[in-house]
Amino acid sequence: MRPVTCEECGTGVLVEKRSLPHTSVQWTGPTDRCPQLAGGGARIEGCTRLRASIEREVREGRLTVAHDD
Amino acid sequence: MNTPRQTPARFARGWHCLGLARQFTDGRPHEIEAFGTKLAVFRGRDDGRLHVLDAYCRHMGGNLAHGTVKGDTLACPFHDWRWGGDGKCAAIPYAQRVPLRARTRAWTTLEENGQLFVWHDPEGNPPGPGVTIPRMDWIDDEPSDGPEASEWSDWTWDSVLVEGAHCRELVDNIVDMAHFFYVHHSVPTRFTNVFEGHVAAMYVESTPRRDSGMELIGADLSLRSDAAYYGPSYMIDRIWQPLGDGTEAETVLVNCHYPVTADSFVLMYGVRVRRLPGTTARQAEDMAARTARGMRVAFDQDIEIWRHKTRVDSPLLSDGDGPVYQLRRWYEQFYVDAAEVRPEMTDRFEFEVDTRRAGEAWEREMAANLARTGTPGTP
Repeated sequence: MRPVTCEECGTGVLVEKRSLPHTSVQWTGPTDRCPQLAGGGARIEGCTRLRASIEREVREGRLTVAHDD
Repeated sequence: MNTPRQTPARFARGWHCLGLARQFTDGRPHEIEAFGTKLAVFRGRDDGRLHVLDAYCRHMGGNLAHGTVKGDTLACPFHDWRWGGDGKCAAIPYAQRVPLRARTRAWTTLEENGQLFVWHDPEGNPPGPGVTIPRMDWIDDEPSDGPEASEWSDWTWDSVLVEGAHCRELVDNIVDMAHFFYVHHSVPTRFTNVFEGHVAAMYVESTPRRDSGMELIGADLSLRSDAAYYGPSYMIDRIWQPLGDGTEAETVLVNCHYPVTADSFVLMYGVRVRRLPGTTARQAEDMAARTARGMRVAFDQDIEIWRHKTRVDSPLLSDGDGPVYQLRRWYEQFYVDAAEVRPEMTDRFEFEVDTRRAGEAWEREMAANLARTGTPGTP
């Protein structure tokens, strides 16, 4: 997994992408700094700003996708 | 399972649903076999509250669940010792006084969503902060026009004893995208898991297998489902199904269980449906009953697998599988002492399954089955 920092709140997470549709995100601390997830926990599917940050990492080649066919 | 092995004898820490609260309010004690022992559930005649005690009397082992409710106490059928809902022996009619420290175990209870829960913790601690069962606040059960004006059908409730399998098999399902195709005949088109704290969620969109002739209520419809376990054993699943005329069927499914022994558990499920515009309350009850029968078909499909499989602690996974190990890591928090819960068990984890490759393979398989048989039938 590779570290990715959210451009919104600055939280660092670990991300793995085995393919373009697949995403795995491991948080290594609380989510309370994330304005979208704080208080909602697993009942919120994800943070759109973090997702955008991950997509940017992929687009700009800093996060490699294992099978990007 | 054929050869149960290394099945842990420890039972999970957490809230466990025992059924609908109204099942226990008839003034009689009820016996529940759970957590390797027996429980007695009764409602106090005066306080009106549901209480759960160890079933076996501390005196000579009589079974309180076969006794009688007397006032706010439960009387043992063997020698009439009276036990209060707080676990204290309140009276022994034939003795001059009750022995000091005459106590049995009173289980911490919770009533929520019309259901009764007990708190189980091998260490004997109360629930931690925030560890609770969420109220379904999107259901208005007390509309100002009276209960018959409710937009939702009443709970259906069914239970089945599953023997020869640890309840982890049931929980594993929430990360098992492929089994939905092979076992339940649906095609997931989106499948995401999120684990955080004591909650594990599954977000799914799926369509029915078009090569399946399976007659299952609602199985001919696409669906969107938001499901989450709150603790080790209680899942709330909200399901939306577009009906084609612009309306949407909305269902809430509770899927919960309590362990009986290390390799058996009671699986329970309840259904409520939102009344569709222009339909009666009676029609909504009928729809809920049909949906519950469909759920029974789906659970029987799972049970048939569990009955013949073995327990696998270190599964061999492919890149098409969901996050089984991360789910097991989350699930382990309920089986270790509270002091042994490590951050990685509760830290947030998100996993979006790549459904594209599987979808292409399943599309080919369905097309081939239809080409061979001409009509939907047994794949």
